[in-house]
Amino acid sequence: MTGITHTTALWYASRATGVVTMLLLTAVLLLGILVNRQGRLPGLPAFAVTGLHRNVSLLAVAFLAIHVITAIVDPYVTIGLAAAVLPFISGYKPFWLGLGAISLDLIAALIVTSLARARMSRRAWRGIHWLAYAAWPLAVVHSIGSSSDGRGGLVLGVLVGCVLAVAAALAWRLSRAAREIPRAGRAAAALSHMSARKADLS
Amino acid sequence: MTDSLTLPPPALAPRVPGPAGLPRLLPATGTVPVDLRAHLARHGSLRYAGAPGRLAAEAAAAGLTGRGGAAFPVARKLAAAAEARPAPLVAGNGAEGEPASSKDRSLLWISPHLVLDGLQLAAEAAGSGTAVLYVQRNQRLNSQLAQAIAERAAAGIDAVRVDLVPAPDRFLAGEESALVSRLTGKPARPAYRPVRGLPRLAPGQAALVQNVETLAHLALIARYGAAWFRLAGTQAEPGSMLVTLHLADGRTSVTEVPLGIGLADLLGLDTVATGPGGDIVPSAGGPVRAVLVGGYHGAWLPAAEAARLPLANAALRPLGAAVGAGVVAALPADRCGLAETARVARYLALESAGQCGPCFNGLPRIAAALDHLAGPRPDQRARADLERWAGLVTGRGACHHPDGSVRFIRSALRVFAVEAGLHERGRCTGTDPRPFLPLPAGRPASDADWS
Repeated sequence: MTGITHTTALWYASRATGVVTMLLLTAVLLLGILVNRQGRLPGLPAFAVTGLHRNVSLLAVAFLAIHVITAIVDPYVTIGLAAAVLPFISGYKPFWLGLGAISLDLIAALIVTSLARARMSRRAWRGIHWLAYAAWPLAVVHSIGSSSDGRGGLVLGVLVGCVLAVAAALAWRLSRAAREIPRAGRAAAALSHMSARKADLS
Repeated sequence: MTDSLTLPPPALAPRVPGPAGLPRLLPATGTVPVDLRAHLARHGSLRYAGAPGRLAAEAAAAGLTGRGGAAFPVARKLAAAAEARPAPLVAGNGAEGEPASSKDRSLLWISPHLVLDGLQLAAEAAGSGTAVLYVQRNQRLNSQLAQAIAERAAAGIDAVRVDLVPAPDRFLAGEESALVSRLTGKPARPAYRPVRGLPRLAPGQAALVQNVETLAHLALIARYGAAWFRLAGTQAEPGSMLVTLHLADGRTSVTEVPLGIGLADLLGLDTVATGPGGDIVPSAGGPVRAVLVGGYHGAWLPAAEAARLPLANAALRPLGAAVGAGVVAALPADRCGLAETARVARYLALESAGQCGPCFNGLPRIAAALDHLAGPRPDQRARADLERWAGLVTGRGACHHPDGSVRFIRSALRVFAVEAGLHERGRCTGTDPRPFLPLPAGRPASDADWS
């Protein structure tokens, strides 16, 4: 069976959106680490990185939704609606899909708490946000296990790239942790940074 | 006031006819502190409401709103405090972090006993056994207040003990959640807090926080009644308030005015004649270019527009301005509004508590761009950049510091748009380079500055 036909379109759509979701989730994680350590992206004000982190995460959710819905609707394998959110009850590859379901639930918790952030304590929001470090590896393992795509070729290459990027970002985060600017000095540091750059221009 | 609360009927009509006219909170002349004997001679002894809920009902009938800036209905807070179990801690807020405001300081210096009366009443309404007065770390003011508290203790007129808690000299130190944080022994930084209800010191322990001027009004309402309070002000915004005025000639004063008073009366603006530029209005203190209403989280208004407006939220809010804590400043015609705004924006950026990224990264970026705009021949994109970045930080902080700062900066971009165009062509109408709006020296250097 090769090529996209009306019977295989959904299966292909699910696999493709799965790969895109993985890439976007990796981008979200990298941006999140950048935000946490007050890192910069070239040509972007530091506070815009926060906005980018939020917007890319919402984009990832859109792709994740298509990935899950197409997998459920696709008649080739039977995955119930419940199996998308409850782990290990799917008839098809229960373990690997179960990891995906857990990851989905964790991401849902991250999104809901971030949208309701103004209505909860910062500590609670932060605690739940740490779950990102569980959701992402679960999604990686789910990608490798639940389809033959992830066991070799281009998709495996993409996954390896994602893992390396996150590992590098984590190493950077840990190295920056020791050099944190105290809260009171943050705005002053940002302002002196800017005046210094302005002096460079003139 | 439209209020869906069910409250017990107000206490009986005033037992004592209240003094006519203004000022109510301060003596008619002078800045000599009113001691307990003079205070009692003028206002008589403090009348407790006698039952929980009565003061809330009287405050509701009076339509008293918080004078710290947010204009929140006092009755709603008092009613919530009466219901809270265990009883909330009561705090009088005299931190007054706003550098352009000195009305709370003046009130605490001249009429400390009105504030202390109000604190006792609030403690009674909340059923609370402890009260604190949160004031600036000012040696003279603190020792005078300690003396006033001791005087009352000696006379045995206070039901609850009052402790003085010093506030750090920071713009945000008086923000309600920052005050609460300070009372729990942590640095006075704003915190994320539940959207509804009283702020909490700890799980289950609420705090009732009222501005010191609000407390002083409560002390008078308890004595003379809601109807007397409503003799001043408008139907929707009754009563009087203390304002800090900055006239165009550099004079600064604290005065008590009825809400709804015309800004023209307040600043001596000439409503008929307009100056040579068309947008310059003559005033008692010299020609005025623009008026700042509501302090550094407030908004600029063109002088000609301000001359037609009353000091009332009903008229100011549709224009993006607000009464706030009563700071009104007339910018002289020989100063550049963009340069003034850039100075203040830089100060506001440095006063970020450094907790939320959009605030401690965004405000410095915005302040730097505004500084650029205030200089000669700014980049033509600077104004568009400022508007875009302003949108990115609004609503993104734990407190309203980014929102308030951006409101102030955006109003400057609107009101001084012509000036910005002149700067782009290498010109500026400001001929006097001296700073006009007051700013403190120094800036937060370490986290200890917040304690």
